[in-house]
Amino acid sequence: MAVDYLSATFAALADPTRRAILARLATGVASVKELAKPFRMSQPAISKHLKVLERTGLIARGREAQWRPCRLKATPLKEVAGWVENYRQFWEESFDRLDDYLAELQSKGKRHGRKKQ
Amino acid sequence: MPSSENSTDDRAAREFVISRVFDAPRALVFQAWIDPRQMTHWWGPRDFTNPICELDARPGGAYRIVMRSPDGHEYPIRGVFLEVVASERLVMTMDVSGHPPEWHDLVNPNRARREDDAVGQMVQTVTFEDLRGKTKLTVRTLFNSVAIRDAMVALGMTEGWSQSLDRLSDLLARA
Repeated sequence: MAVDYLSATFAALADPTRRAILARLATGVASVKELAKPFRMSQPAISKHLKVLERTGLIARGREAQWRPCRLKATPLKEVAGWVENYRQFWEESFDRLDDYLAELQSKGKRHGRKKQ
Repeated sequence: MPSSENSTDDRAAREFVISRVFDAPRALVFQAWIDPRQMTHWWGPRDFTNPICELDARPGGAYRIVMRSPDGHEYPIRGVFLEVVASERLVMTMDVSGHPPEWHDLVNPNRARREDDAVGQMVQTVTFEDLRGKTKLTVRTLFNSVAIRDAMVALGMTEGWSQSLDRLSDLLARA
């Protein structure tokens, strides 16, 4: 079964603990121990969350045996954010053009002495 | 196709909303939406043209727009009008399955087949409100796709956000 990329990424984001982990990693790399600290959660429980984030490409984990630093990978989020932002931009630009078009239409109407109803 | 995921409760989460006030009366703005000879002048991003623009603005009527980018790529959109209330409201389906696969890749690079539609069917509601002679235009796009819904919920769609990593981090930190 093909994995729905967007669904997987945002299922990963749907959890508040995972979002908090990402927020922490946005400020710099951290170990599992450091990440577990703010939560009343065991390291294995945090590791489960980290696995989800790693699988969906949102974080990368170092390979050192003793300390596996986690870091944020922004690319999947940026890609989806990018698409939705593009959709908004499509409308903003269409509205800009509509604005110009309506202004031109109304000024033409005035010049020819016709009243637009 | 309706699924248990798309209940009326999560409609707000599946809906994209954008509004703007135009300095023109409703009747004029409405005409610009339903007259293909007018729509062709403004529809789409800056520097795009609309070599094909066909509109049959009545319930059940079809429309077809082909946008062309400055570098010559074509983006077909088509749909059917569900509601047409003069100077007040338009509701139509929107089908962008004809957009190039590269565009669909931006939304979902891991589709089952390259020719699959990444976005799914959209229903668009356009309302025209009178604001003392001006028009408040609101476009609401309802997405069917669970993936798009999740994306919007996760990114706080209704608050607005930008692409920069800094702003995204702030959003995550507030969660």
